[in-house]
Amino acid sequence: MSSTVMASSRQLLSRIAPPSTRTPALPVVARIDRDKTRRSSGGVLTHLATALSSRSAAIAAAAAMAAASPLPALAEQMEKAALFDFNLTLPVIAAEFLLLMVALDKIYFTPLGKFMDERDAAIRAKLSDVKDTSGEVKELEEKGAAVMKAARAEISAALNQMKKETSAELEQKLAEGRKRVEAELAEALQNLEKQKEETIKALDSQIAALSDEIVKKVLPSA
Amino acid sequence: MNVIPCSIKTLKGLYDISGVEVGQHLYWQIGGLQIHAQVLITSWVVIAILLGSVIIAVRNPQTIPTDGQNFFEYVLEFIRDLSKTQIGEEYGPWVPFIGTMFLFIFVSNWSGALLPWKIIQLPHGELAAPTNDINTTVALALLTSVAYFYAGLSKKGLGYFGKYIQPTPILLPINILEDFTKPLSLSFRLFGNILADELVVVVLVSLVPSVVPIPVMFLGLFTSGIQALIFATLAAAYIGESMEGHH
Repeated sequence: MSSTVMASSRQLLSRIAPPSTRTPALPVVARIDRDKTRRSSGGVLTHLATALSSRSAAIAAAAAMAAASPLPALAEQMEKAALFDFNLTLPVIAAEFLLLMVALDKIYFTPLGKFMDERDAAIRAKLSDVKDTSGEVKELEEKGAAVMKAARAEISAALNQMKKETSAELEQKLAEGRKRVEAELAEALQNLEKQKEETIKALDSQIAALSDEIVKKVLPSA
Repeated sequence: MNVIPCSIKTLKGLYDISGVEVGQHLYWQIGGLQIHAQVLITSWVVIAILLGSVIIAVRNPQTIPTDGQNFFEYVLEFIRDLSKTQIGEEYGPWVPFIGTMFLFIFVSNWSGALLPWKIIQLPHGELAAPTNDINTTVALALLTSVAYFYAGLSKKGLGYFGKYIQPTPILLPINILEDFTKPLSLSFRLFGNILADELVVVVLVSLVPSVVPIPVMFLGLFTSGIQALIFATLAAAYIGESMEGHH
């Protein structure tokens, strides 16, 4: 493929070049034309593009010259240019690859892989340890809950007792107060009774005198 | 006509910077055989980056990881997850293979997109991502093939070849063909994607030197990552496929 590109570009180049008669590159171009060896050069492709895009014939000639000038030196070495050129490079690269594989295995894949696996195992072991202690944690939690329950019961018992004591005291005081009030009331009533009796007695003693007086006044001097 | 030499100079400069050199290689000779030196050099850089960063980050692992270690632990977990989903419970021994495959391709691809390789001038050819060369991708794909054959044979012995006549012997040719298409598709997918990505960026840069190529470069980074993931995932899937039992 590259050789056909090369061939077409060669024809184009020789067509472009002739108008500039004063160019010293002409013989070189001619020599390239004569050179029938298989050759592939993208450089020519590049300059072909440059040549096509330029408008004046002078620049085209310059492009042709520029394309031609480095070529003679390369032309001799280009004879073997090939895309599919199998040689000793293949086994050498294969050997290099195998060596690289062994080296990477020794310093990278195996040691780091082992290290990572060990770390994974350690983390997993720690995690399972944590899972095992979860039973203990539950026991402790239950203990804590029991302690809390006992404490709450104690407190409520104490509270109840306190309430009872307080209410008993209150009742006692209330009863005392009531008794005193009753006693005072009873005393007051007794006093009243006594005064009443006294008054009645006083009235009784006066009744006779009063009735005499009333009789005297009603019955005129009987 | 002062314009011409000046424009020649600028054009030559542009050529030097943005020349697309497809199929150009710097050759080294070793015992009569040839090697693509630019691929080798860049692969060494990639390997050095990988090994260096890993050594720095992981040499002294902490229980509570810090930045670098954290990153590499994440990468390792990612690779393990990938291997586990594709291979199944027996993924352990395959983590290095899948992981190296993923990391090597990923760092290679990104090095092609991010490291300024072109600053270093080579006498011939140019430095690029190692995965830009068909030799690298084919080497990785063939290793994958070898890996899944090994996985199947070591798991089931010769009974592994029984899968060729599953579910019916008529599919034998297709099943055999699959063993060739797997590495072929693996290697060409990676090679084509990375090469095309690099070519598109270079051609765009040479046409419009500023702003326009940037989204394409980001697309290239995305593609590179995806390709590494695809290669590693498929490799793991092939291994898993050859290991799973057929009843």
